[in-house]
Amino acid sequence: MYLQLKEINKTFDNTDRETICNVSLEVEKGEFICIVGPSGCGKSTILNLIAGLIQPSSGEIILDGEPVKGPGADRVVMFQEAALFPWLNVMENVMFGLDAAGYGKKEQEELAEKYLRMVQLWNYKDYPIHQISGGMKQRTALARALALDSKLLLMDEPFSALDKQTINVLREELEGIWEKNKKTILYVTHSVEEAIYFADRVIVMSENPGRIREIIPIELPRPRKVENEDFVALRHQILQSVRAGVEKSMKKEFDEEVSDEV
Amino acid sequence: MKYRRILETLVFAIGLILLWQLFYTAGTQWFSIVKPYAVPNPLGVVESFLRLASDGTLIRAVGYSMMRAVIGFCISIVIGSLLGILILQFPFLRRNLKPMILGIQTLPSICWVPFAILWFGLKESAIIFVIVMGSAFSIALAVENGVNNVPPVYIKAAKTMGVTPINMYRKVILPAALPSFVGGLKQGWSFAWRALMSGEVMSASVGLGYTLMIGRDLADINQVMTVMLIIVLLGILIDKGIFSRAENHILRKRGLV
Repeated sequence: MYLQLKEINKTFDNTDRETICNVSLEVEKGEFICIVGPSGCGKSTILNLIAGLIQPSSGEIILDGEPVKGPGADRVVMFQEAALFPWLNVMENVMFGLDAAGYGKKEQEELAEKYLRMVQLWNYKDYPIHQISGGMKQRTALARALALDSKLLLMDEPFSALDKQTINVLREELEGIWEKNKKTILYVTHSVEEAIYFADRVIVMSENPGRIREIIPIELPRPRKVENEDFVALRHQILQSVRAGVEKSMKKEFDEEVSDEV
Repeated sequence: MKYRRILETLVFAIGLILLWQLFYTAGTQWFSIVKPYAVPNPLGVVESFLRLASDGTLIRAVGYSMMRAVIGFCISIVIGSLLGILILQFPFLRRNLKPMILGIQTLPSICWVPFAILWFGLKESAIIFVIVMGSAFSIALAVENGVNNVPPVYIKAAKTMGVTPINMYRKVILPAALPSFVGGLKQGWSFAWRALMSGEVMSASVGLGYTLMIGRDLADINQVMTVMLIIVLLGILIDKGIFSRAENHILRKRGLV
């Protein structure tokens, strides 16, 4: 098994309540896993735990035979805000991680070019960050993450701050890139549609405390079409599952998504 | 557009000088409510300026003052940065020393003059001491503030890319904190410049502050006014020419203006 989460619990110092309760998960190499759940169910916490940015209160995370101790370049994270450095331009941002990984200047440039072309930003390589759109920022962040060729790519709602058109374009791009290089991806999202679009398996979480409610394999042929009948049926099923795991106060948010999506 | 701005400024300046002259003439001649030696007048200031400029007093004074300010400021940058880093590194110091530094920073630098004279005598080092006490603390606070306000997501992102602690400082925290650091330097410079005058007024034998005091001793109010104007002009020149320019350059490059 490539990535293993063994009975992970996490209680933050300043709270008594468990954020994550007894989460176990096994992920194969090359799998695309999406984690959905209500806000506050700890899905981002799981990602941060795997990234090594926080430590579990108990339990163990093992990646490719090695226990996860702290953050490292084998588990790159893409955040909701692109987290690009405003003092560097597009190309320099992609080269930043490669520099940290110890690549020489020439290799950095070659790899940065390769991945900037992959996300179709080569023409914008010299642009300062504040002059590119939100979608381009996330593409730059994607190129930066891919260039490091990490074992795992962790994505924390990377498209949730973008407009619908941009999201659709970026989804297709990401799915196309993944089809080619078969990275192992853990993708946290609050959009059930997005989860079904990408995932080999969708992890549905429930809240208070956050635990895995259900794991749903998605076997629809790729590239998936959101208007496809099976897709719609699956979305309905998963939304039901999510809502069942949500407290009353949180229901509203997901009811809105139902009326919005259906 | 730009010419209009310059013209506007020029009209304002000329208007101000004319108004000044008007008040002077009205006060000293028409109504005789003030003595001519107690208020400066535009022509007197020009005369005073030409005299100070032609006998070399002015250029020497400016040179000495600038030299002291630059030396004191550089020492302040070093001490302030070190102090800032110390506060950042040790929570104990952040909790206890930082409030004290905030307090000391509000102290007018002239308060340090008695110490300066006692410890260093009437020497250059006394003035430098006053400058350092005047500006080092504000730089320390700017360093601390700048580093603390680095968006945590930059640090998180860099961590997950495997950046080492040294490079975290060099390539993430330092560039991210640069705008507020430059802002701190700008403020530090203005404190240094004021502290310099306090120091020179008390204990110098050459310099702008000293020239101003000579004006007072000779009851030459026009000379006092001339030196004051030069202090103001130099302050504006350095702020606009160096610090504001650097600050704007950095902010513009990052799209923050």
